[in-house]
Amino acid sequence: MSVLASIDLQTLGDAFGLGAIYALMAVGIGLVFGVLRLVNFAYGQLIMAGAYTLAYTSGWPVAASIVSCFAVVVALSLAMDRVVFRPLRSSSPAVMLVTTFAIAFLLQAVALIIDLRDGQLGEVASSIAPLNQAVSVGGVDVRKVTFVAVGVALGALIALALVLTRTTIGLHTRAAASDFRTARLLGVRANRVIAFAVVVSGLLAGAVAVLLTVQNPFVQPDFALEDTIIVLVGVVVGGIDRLWTATLGGFAIGFVSVLVNAALPTDQTVFLPSVVYALVIVVLLLRPAGLFAWGRRAAMERV
Amino acid sequence: MRFSLGALVELLGPALLVIVVGLLATTASASNEVYFLNALVSVAIVVAIYVFVGISGVLSFGQISFVAVGAFAAGVMTVPVESKKGVLTTIFPILRDHSVGNVPSLLLAAALGGVFAFVVGMPLMRLSGLAAGIATFAVLEITHNVLREWTKIGPGATTLALVPETTGALQATLGALVAIVVAFLYQRSRRGRLLRASREDPAVARSVGVNIHLERLLAFTVSGALAGFAGALYVHLLGSITTEQVYLELTFLTLAMLVIGGLTSLWGAVVGALAVSGLDSFLSRAEQSDVHVIFTFTLWQGTRLVFLAAIMALVLILRPSGLTGGREFRLRWLRRR
Amino acid sequence: MPEAAALELDGVEVRYGSVSAVRDLTLRVGKGEIVGLIGPNGAGKSTTLNAIMGLQPAHRGEIKLNGQALRRRSVESIARAGIALVPEGRRIFGDFTVEENLRLGLAARRRTYIGDPFGPAFELFPILSEFRGRQAGALSGGQQQQLAIGRALVSRPDLLLLDEPSLGLAPLAVDGIFKAFTEIREVGTTILLVEQRAQRTVALANRTHVLVGGELRMTLGPADADDTEKIIAAYLAS
Ligand SMILES: Nc1ncnc2c1ncn2[C@@H]1O[C@H](COP(=O)(O)OP(=O)(O)O)[C@@H](O)[C@H]1O
Ligand SMILES: [Mg+2]
Repeated sequence: MSVLASIDLQTLGDAFGLGAIYALMAVGIGLVFGVLRLVNFAYGQLIMAGAYTLAYTSGWPVAASIVSCFAVVVALSLAMDRVVFRPLRSSSPAVMLVTTFAIAFLLQAVALIIDLRDGQLGEVASSIAPLNQAVSVGGVDVRKVTFVAVGVALGALIALALVLTRTTIGLHTRAAASDFRTARLLGVRANRVIAFAVVVSGLLAGAVAVLLTVQNPFVQPDFALEDTIIVLVGVVVGGIDRLWTATLGGFAIGFVSVLVNAALPTDQTVFLPSVVYALVIVVLLLRPAGLFAWGRRAAMERV
Repeated sequence: MRFSLGALVELLGPALLVIVVGLLATTASASNEVYFLNALVSVAIVVAIYVFVGISGVLSFGQISFVAVGAFAAGVMTVPVESKKGVLTTIFPILRDHSVGNVPSLLLAAALGGVFAFVVGMPLMRLSGLAAGIATFAVLEITHNVLREWTKIGPGATTLALVPETTGALQATLGALVAIVVAFLYQRSRRGRLLRASREDPAVARSVGVNIHLERLLAFTVSGALAGFAGALYVHLLGSITTEQVYLELTFLTLAMLVIGGLTSLWGAVVGALAVSGLDSFLSRAEQSDVHVIFTFTLWQGTRLVFLAAIMALVLILRPSGLTGGREFRLRWLRRR
Repeated sequence: MPEAAALELDGVEVRYGSVSAVRDLTLRVGKGEIVGLIGPNGAGKSTTLNAIMGLQPAHRGEIKLNGQALRRRSVESIARAGIALVPEGRRIFGDFTVEENLRLGLAARRRTYIGDPFGPAFELFPILSEFRGRQAGALSGGQQQQLAIGRALVSRPDLLLLDEPSLGLAPLAVDGIFKAFTEIREVGTTILLVEQRAQRTVALANRTHVLVGGELRMTLGPADADDTEKIIAAYLAS
């Protein structure tokens, strides 16, 4: 009995930890979608770039390393907007999406070249690895990073919610996400709002890079690729049309994946993706506008 | 069905282009031939995707599932029985003890692809937009997961080898032509035209009594059958295959080919597949890949991908409606150039 | 008057693809005037306003605000230059509060003013002040139109463009907003009013142009307001 309970608590901890990280990614993806109507498949490569930065600066003081990670990711995020998103603004959603595939491959190929300069694939980001140690909570071992992830996610989400509701740029961003044309004719500056969304989305990618490298310090060009795909799925399942439903969707898919993994018999865990994606299909069929979206379908016709 | 001259030109353009590539393949050196064959198989796959995505306007990331099913079905069923007992020890006895020839394997792959697409499409074709994109992507994930882990139907995560390499210049060319002709007949048929009209205006199409769900399902099934067929061509070209080769990368690459060529036309599908394959082959040759390096990717190997991705992104940004502008092949088009 | 007009359109053509919805349109709105623009559905009235606002850039011709050409400027910079559009269908943000909608209107403000920034809206429509904390989507149709007009006014524009503001309103609410237009003119704001209520518009405006099939057909003065036949004839002329 106590064994079962302890497994459950540990699993629950992991589920919250992964859900929190995915929620952050979902916000990053959802913010940019809100203002640009663009599903950024290359979001994972921002995180990857941050992870490499952490690896290459792992000899530096931790704070400097983290700051440079954020700087690189935000700069790359802004560059992506300038070079790619801006010329695409009037393109069809399919073209936008496929272009971000190409950008994702491009960044991955560049990372491969940089990574292989030392003749070995992969770099290690070790400076913040101590966060990966476990602490005992009521007899259950929980990794410190789980608390950090949940804490960072909650903090970031609350801060973002405050910015979006209390500041002018936040109001303008929400208006642009809801009806860009009307926002512009009221004088809301498109470029400024988009830059804001892109920078915040970059900051979130930086935070995710830090959290993910703690859990998996071995950085390769496809770092965070799989997570990004899963979060994109979660965002649509939750309801991409609104930030909070997208965020919940990201959280839910991380949370549920961990629980399903724990519930499956050991010899069946290889079929975890099938189970999760079958759930995804069922939810989409029942609630095509999003699991958490009520009374809104318009956005689904866009792509 | 009666076709005007213009309609026939619309078919002849892509068909002739494919035949030219096939002829080039026969004149190329042995080491270069594979690039041409690869390009022709890409044409078959991209045309299969076009039949659903291009005509219905619904995004699907799932069509490579049908390529995968076709490839593994054709592959597993054509490995000679004597070899199978040694290499595919875990599969169902009925699969282990029987093999079929080249042509039956192509037909089998097409049939399986079509049936699979029909079954999957029945519930999923109610969706559109991003929901459809993600649901079809889920199909790809499940297909990949099952093919990779269920060793009773195939090699699982290991390589399926010893598949007869029957896709030479002739089979690749004919295969691509079959895909093009089927796509052409479908898009010119009444039902194909109805579906295309529904893409432009779903509400109007519905109001004149078009059952969009049914029309999409038909396109999805035709597309699935063509994709299964193309998968069989592919496995017979490669001679050996793993589940990773018919998964994410192929999905993104073939979709990129379609969009780069021009999402809304058959001509675009063919041109996009050939242009991107051609570019990729050119870059491969340019980096002297004669030397087979397994682990240490040379610096050059990296740059090929950088160039390929950068050029694809550039084309999409500069010409968002694709190289063909999404229009069909016309003679006027030739004159204007 | 040597002074530049608030708004001048000279030979403006607006196209959707290859179809031109407005052709060779020339009109002038003097400072402090109300100019009406009436015409049947599909005449090109909204297209004209959208062209002025930069939402649907003019294919040909010149549009000037206070003598300055607006060519090639972005929508938001035109808004910040002093033109406010109350669009067709109001386009308020239904999920936002009344106050948030008004705050959005401040985006195009060129200077800060002393006093309540929402003053121009609240003085005209006190109900907005009372409901400032409510969800805008929960207001009645007339109140939503007041909000849309109020939102345009808080930026203190030189020129107010209104696209069928009385559409779908109850008769009492229509009276209310037509009265508001007079008050807006009194504080010196210039108005270009697109309407379907021909008679009321002709009676209110300094001049009213009739647009049919993308071309100006006729210009009416307040004296013509009671000449129903003349108005109908203008509509039918084609
Ligand atoms: N976005 C658009 N795309 C294509 N044609 C349009 C568009 N908007 C309006 N039109 C056409 O332009 C003409 C004028 O429309 P509009 O300016 O809305 O008329 P009004 O406001 O006078 O009713 C109509 O024929 C209409 O069909
Ligand atoms: Mg109108």
